[in-house]
Amino acid sequence: MNELIVLLHIDDRRVAIPAAEVQSVIELEDIYPVPRAPDFVVGLTAMRSRSLTVIDCRRALGIAGETATGERAPVVEIAGHLYALLVDAVDDVIETQSDIRPVAGGFGKEWQRVARGMVETDRGPTLLINASLLIEGPVARAA
Amino acid sequence: MDDLLADFVAETREMLEAIEGELVAWESEPSDRARLDAIFRFVHTVKGNCGFFDFPRLEKLSHSAEGALAEVRAGRRHPDSRLVSAVLAIIDRIMQMTNAIEAGEEMPAQGDEFLIAALEPDASDVGEIAAMQSGESAAKSNEAGPSAPRTIRLPVELLDRVMSGVSDMVLARNDLARRLRESGAEPTLDGPFERLSGILGDVREAVTKMRMQRIEHLYNALPRLVRDLSADLGKQVMVDFEGGAVELDREMIEMIRDPIVHLIRNAVDHGIEAPAVRRAAGKREIGMLTIAARQSGNRISIVITDDGGGLSTAKIGAKAVSNGLITQSELDVMPDSAISDLIFEAGLSTADEVSAISGRGVGMDVVRANIEKIGGTISVSSNPGEGTMFFLQIPLTLSIISALTVSVQGQRFAIPQSFVEEIAHGASANIEFSQVGDSDLVTFRGKRIPCLSLDNVLELGQRRAARDQRLVLLRLGSGGLFALGVDRIHDQEDLVIKPLAPAVMQTGAYAGTTLLDDGSPVLMLDIATIAQQAGLITDSRARPAQASAPVKAAAEAERRSIMTFVALDGRKRAIDLGLVSRIDLVDASAIDIDAGRSQVVVDDRIMKLVGVGCAQITDEKVKLLRLSDSETDIAYAVAELGESIDISTDLAPAEGDETIEGVALIDGQPVPVVDGFRLFSGNQHQQSRDSRPLCRLPEGDEWVERMLKPMVSAAGYAIATGEDETADVVIALEGTPPDVADLKAGRLITIHADPAKAGNDKHEVYRYDRDGLIEALRSARLGKAS
Repeated sequence: MNELIVLLHIDDRRVAIPAAEVQSVIELEDIYPVPRAPDFVVGLTAMRSRSLTVIDCRRALGIAGETATGERAPVVEIAGHLYALLVDAVDDVIETQSDIRPVAGGFGKEWQRVARGMVETDRGPTLLINASLLIEGPVARAA
Repeated sequence: MDDLLADFVAETREMLEAIEGELVAWESEPSDRARLDAIFRFVHTVKGNCGFFDFPRLEKLSHSAEGALAEVRAGRRHPDSRLVSAVLAIIDRIMQMTNAIEAGEEMPAQGDEFLIAALEPDASDVGEIAAMQSGESAAKSNEAGPSAPRTIRLPVELLDRVMSGVSDMVLARNDLARRLRESGAEPTLDGPFERLSGILGDVREAVTKMRMQRIEHLYNALPRLVRDLSADLGKQVMVDFEGGAVELDREMIEMIRDPIVHLIRNAVDHGIEAPAVRRAAGKREIGMLTIAARQSGNRISIVITDDGGGLSTAKIGAKAVSNGLITQSELDVMPDSAISDLIFEAGLSTADEVSAISGRGVGMDVVRANIEKIGGTISVSSNPGEGTMFFLQIPLTLSIISALTVSVQGQRFAIPQSFVEEIAHGASANIEFSQVGDSDLVTFRGKRIPCLSLDNVLELGQRRAARDQRLVLLRLGSGGLFALGVDRIHDQEDLVIKPLAPAVMQTGAYAGTTLLDDGSPVLMLDIATIAQQAGLITDSRARPAQASAPVKAAAEAERRSIMTFVALDGRKRAIDLGLVSRIDLVDASAIDIDAGRSQVVVDDRIMKLVGVGCAQITDEKVKLLRLSDSETDIAYAVAELGESIDISTDLAPAEGDETIEGVALIDGQPVPVVDGFRLFSGNQHQQSRDSRPLCRLPEGDEWVERMLKPMVSAAGYAIATGEDETADVVIALEGTPPDVADLKAGRLITIHADPAKAGNDKHEVYRYDRDGLIEALRSARLGKAS
């Protein structure tokens, strides 16, 4: 049950993704924008001669505002594609100290979609998120 | 054994391996529809493939098995255990025969009739015995095993992995190259790095070849098929192939082989009518069948056209209703195209009689299933009495694409070279922009072509097409043409295309991504989708309206010949063929290069030598292009001669290089065209401005400003500007006599837009006849009356 997770900060909240899913953490250099792409796709960048899609996590969650660039970004591979996740900060790699648990009442409308559940860590309770749901971006709300 | 036969054997064996499990499962659960369908398709395909070869027994076996299974599929017969054994026995026999074919042996002993008889509903136990016997002998023949393979069959995934590994290596190499450059690495690294690059290039080429096959490979088998089919049916069919050079993935060829064979069988069997019917309908007795392949971006489109009777929507509709596919009320509201599409539904065949060739209504659903399995699409369009067209769109899994890189607002994009027809400068004189409503049109060679600005397409801002853009003329798979306005055109290069993340794919504007040599990612534009989104797919070939300005007569004559060559520095270049008077081969000793001066002795004459630059002449013999402007000869040293090619006069401008007249697009390669006029003007003794003869040009004409003026001044003339200057030569445009009082006889040159009007007189020159103009200038200056 003790799983390694990578602690991240998105919109001033502490979240985590399993360390096994994170290929590496890179310094984002040049980002090449993709015209007409959804707004949470910041652009493309290159890592070790592969091209990565850069996702602004805040926007992918449907939270207003923009994540400041220039920080380090975790890289995940989902369905054969590499994504760099633009987050406020990459904190640390730590061990979980509990199973994944739900929270009564959910995690809030933006977070519920990507949440796997809550885990206890030595930094306090942390929201474990599902990166493959995150990169799909905010779901168009039914009118 | 020839390749086709080997393919047939391998394919049959593979199919059999694939359905082996199904067979066993079907035996225990004979009512399982999906398994039944899979087995049915197998025998159907075997039957179809037999059409290539003369295997009457094999064909008969598979045909009867197919017949029995069709009964079961139609629900007219219950699949009892005896039928199952009989079918399995036939499949075993098919395998035995296939092995025999491969080994080049005689077919195993007769006995087929028992097997076929066993399929009959009232068959006695004879069938079962025969089936058992057949099973035993099958086991025996398997022990003998197939003959030793001369080739190995590899899973395509393995090839894919090697391919993607090599692609990544190319990118890593590019990255490394960039870093070496940036860090100014030691020169000792250059050698090994070059070697690495070379090896990598070879490997990449080999891997690519491993997976690629020309579609010709598929075509080769078809004429025979068509010939045999039409002979059987008493029809006359001519088959025509286009695009045999289109290459696609070997696996892809295998995947589309069956569907295409099915479509052709159907076209010959149902599409093309019997000669008598055709004659009565006023058509040629010989039916035409055309198969055209074309690569458009990351897809291959294959169009199969016959000029037969077309699809009968009434018949299809009635059949679909009677087979319970749709209800009559559904049919009543269906458009014709939707009714045509019903042919792809399972269990629909409009042929009145079931024949051995096609027509159990399996062909088309199998075709669609196979095409869709590989991510392709198929559609049909038909005109009653005129014929039927099947459109297949097949994805190209090939991951290396030759592409043109362009940029707009500082961002780079790649365009698959296969779409690029031509590139042109928006400021070029024979391009006109016009606007209709909110749409932009360009008129180019007398054609009105819709023009999109990449800015608008990518929503980077609103702009109209204008002269400051470069235009890329793109030819769509459907034949339509449109222009895409961009800010700059960079380069043509081979790019390793990687798939894009779904979120980016959604935009519909891109087909993939790649990294350029400098490590920056670039997006490959999905031209077909962009055109579709702009509504250009259907209506892109609008001709200029009759009422519009007459097409310039010059349009057709605007082509000129150039000669390509490889310069001493190894770069490909071209020069106007009109300037080349002959080709010489001289000894290196005849060449004398000194600081700032290079000369060569040819035929006991000393000539200026150009094209040597700072290159060292190492060969003993040097090829020279002897250029002549009819007064002076200049020798141009070249490494290799190319060919003479007709191109459009519309060269893309060569920015920053004054020795180049422009860049021509030849076979997808940019080739700089050497500016002959500059060569000659640069090699004349420089005359001071005062001593240069004065030439007066017509004013206020754009063509004169852009084309004539540079040409005349390059020929060594000063251009008269003031009203009071007395010109040595006066050039006028046809129909506009010059407003000059002091015109001396024989000093007027008239420029004609129509080549037919020029040429009678030395002083009547067609506007694109450079040599004629130079000659006219010369003689006019000397004041000679012509």
